[in-house]
Amino acid sequence: MEHDPFRWGRPSDQAYGEYNNSIAHAGQQQSFPKMNTQQPIVTGTSVIAIKFKDGIVIAADNLGSYGSLARFTDVERLFPVGDHAVVGISGDISDLQYVSRLLEDLEIENNYDYDGHSLRAPHIHEYLQKVFYHRRSKMDPLWNSTIVGGLDDSGKPFLKYVDLLGVQYSAPTLATGFGAYLALPILRKVVFEEKDVEKIDEETARNAIKECMKVLFYRDARSLDKYSLITITKKNGVVFEKGLKSEEQSWRFAKDIKGYGTQKV
Amino acid sequence: MTSVGTGYDLSNSVFSPDGRNFQVEYASKAVENGGTSIGLKTKNGIVFAVEKIITSKLLVPGKNNRIQTIGRSIGAVYSGLLPDGRHLVSRGRDEFNSYRSQYKEDITVPYLIDRLGNYVQAYTCYNSVRPFGITSIIGGIDEDGTHLYMLEPSGSYWGYKGAATGKGRQSAKNELEKLNLDELSTRDAVKEAARIIYQAHEDNKDKDFEIEISWISKEETKGLHQFVPEDLLNEAKQYAEDKLNEDEDEDEEDEDENMEE
Amino acid sequence: MMVILLLTHQLVEYALEAIKQGSAVVGLATKEYAVLVALKRNAEELGSYQKKIIKVDDHLGIALAGLAPDARVLSNFLREQALNQKMIFNRPLSTEKAATLLADKAQKNTQSYGGRPYGVGLLVIGYDETGAHLFEFQPSGSSLEYVGAAIGARSQAGRTYLERSFEAYANSTKEELIVHGLNALRDTLAQDKELNSKNTSISIVGKDIDFTLYDDDDVQQWLDRLDSVSNARTGVNNDNNDDDDNNDDNEEPTKKEGEDEEDKMETD
Repeated sequence: MEHDPFRWGRPSDQAYGEYNNSIAHAGQQQSFPKMNTQQPIVTGTSVIAIKFKDGIVIAADNLGSYGSLARFTDVERLFPVGDHAVVGISGDISDLQYVSRLLEDLEIENNYDYDGHSLRAPHIHEYLQKVFYHRRSKMDPLWNSTIVGGLDDSGKPFLKYVDLLGVQYSAPTLATGFGAYLALPILRKVVFEEKDVEKIDEETARNAIKECMKVLFYRDARSLDKYSLITITKKNGVVFEKGLKSEEQSWRFAKDIKGYGTQKV
Repeated sequence: MTSVGTGYDLSNSVFSPDGRNFQVEYASKAVENGGTSIGLKTKNGIVFAVEKIITSKLLVPGKNNRIQTIGRSIGAVYSGLLPDGRHLVSRGRDEFNSYRSQYKEDITVPYLIDRLGNYVQAYTCYNSVRPFGITSIIGGIDEDGTHLYMLEPSGSYWGYKGAATGKGRQSAKNELEKLNLDELSTRDAVKEAARIIYQAHEDNKDKDFEIEISWISKEETKGLHQFVPEDLLNEAKQYAEDKLNEDEDEDEEDEDENMEE
Repeated sequence: MMVILLLTHQLVEYALEAIKQGSAVVGLATKEYAVLVALKRNAEELGSYQKKIIKVDDHLGIALAGLAPDARVLSNFLREQALNQKMIFNRPLSTEKAATLLADKAQKNTQSYGGRPYGVGLLVIGYDETGAHLFEFQPSGSSLEYVGAAIGARSQAGRTYLERSFEAYANSTKEELIVHGLNALRDTLAQDKELNSKNTSISIVGKDIDFTLYDDDDVQQWLDRLDSVSNARTGVNNDNNDDDDNNDDNEEPTKKEGEDEEDKMETD
């Protein structure tokens, strides 16, 4: 008869060996004082963007991946802020939700005053960069890479990147994540450097982005063919298109790819 | 006021023998002399309007706004000590934001006004503070529809379809009562609001004034609290002036008739 | 008469009196430029003159009338806010925002016991994306935007000048605007006083000019543009005219303006 109530109903030592108590007390046995986020959990993949002569185009698909599992298929990762700016976010989705609320708060606060001082893309980027760098300096980063797009103070197209380390840079074509390898080379064929921006129109930029979204769906295993796309111009402000689909896909090549799935040879 | 000068009126948090808090009554006095503020609640919108008395011709026209935004779809206007009004609005914004950070959604208007009511009430309880010298009209749109409230220095508040405070409140109330607010479109309510402010200004005719109008409507402003656009403001002003002249003509006729009697 | 009798609010009335004790400052604004001019005092012959205009940022500055230490607390606060705005958003603090921040800060001291209200009035000028602006801040917690404002001792006379000429200077150049400001400031002078490079401060901010402060020797070039550096209303010292007559402002202030002045405080 076992007289210790703690052991009642538990696997017997005879059958399973002695219980490893370090499992129950894992929390108290850390070899370090504190640990923050070490990896993202639910993630969004690439955000891609390009400048054209009157504005910018930016796109991100609607997938929230849980590891390799396509867990959520209706995640919105583009966030318009004010009249002429958008933030596209990839990386951890819960951090994305936090950042999106920061952006909302920012917009609400900016609308208190009707003084003609609007919150434009460069200001939003500067703010986000401060938030990300501050968090990385606390060793508690927000696990995201973001692209801020819109118009700058003089109404010219604006694109700038900032990520979980607070790293920032600007370019006429930008992409986060896998997109930096798969989409950027294609986008750079359209706009290679800043002076090329003047030469292309909205239609060209749009088609380039759509083409890239398709390539990303083909080659990035954590992507989806359903995506959102935002165009920002001085004339039309923010134009938000949701639930776009990558059309004219052909997967005939798939049958020749070997080494995984149900194929035997 | 029989107890004036007896000392009961000097401090907050002291009742006079007949059960009054004089500080609160004095605060209400401050309101009675301020420019007229009104709020209208239509079926699917809110309109605020205020009569801004021009105290100096050096003031920049169209600036120095009196109507303020508490958060997204909630606005406020007030009569009385203007700095106190800014204080209340800034408290309202804090409430709005703290609710957002706790519940990840926007505060409802009834809950907000309840919080603000308690806040204003607290300023009647202690002798280290004085009450708010304002009566404010606060309204907005939330998931349950449109709401309009008026909050007094005592901390008490009521819901209204049409609310008025400030110097011209009596005539403004009379005009508000005549409106069919359940049927009125928000756009038309803007015009009526202008007319009522012009009407209320008649009591204060020797002073110049500016009018400020804002609105909240799902159809017109995507549910955001905003000033009405320039052209609508001008249209409303024109409407107000025309109506006022009409009335004056009628009044003159009435007077003539009375003379005959 | 305000009927709220609580001590805190009575103190505000006294604070407003403290402003009237300070020497005069005048502010003017057009769409493109804003100007502050101020009369400095020295407490004693061998002492330095009290600074009246404080730069807050490249685009923002204030002038004070009343308790100078209070003004320094407030200007430090504004500098902090301007720096924050620069640090977090990389944009200049808007003039209106600066003025309302001051007002909201001051309001707190009028409603609760413990602190006294600030004993200083400020004129805030700035140039931002919506143009040049001028605000008058009072310890009662109000900040209002004006095209012209004057606070401090005998400021009513300056205001009278501004009310008479604000339409005329609405489109003036920065040079003309400074001259208008000095004219208004001159009208606030007591009979035996005159503007000179020691007691006058001038600052300007605007479209093509960062906040710039002229003191001491730099002031003379501007005084030279006036037809007279003493108060023309009083009719004395008119012979003291050693300046260039390149002044296009031939509007002579008339005598009667000074008579409705309500404060008879000495400027020293």
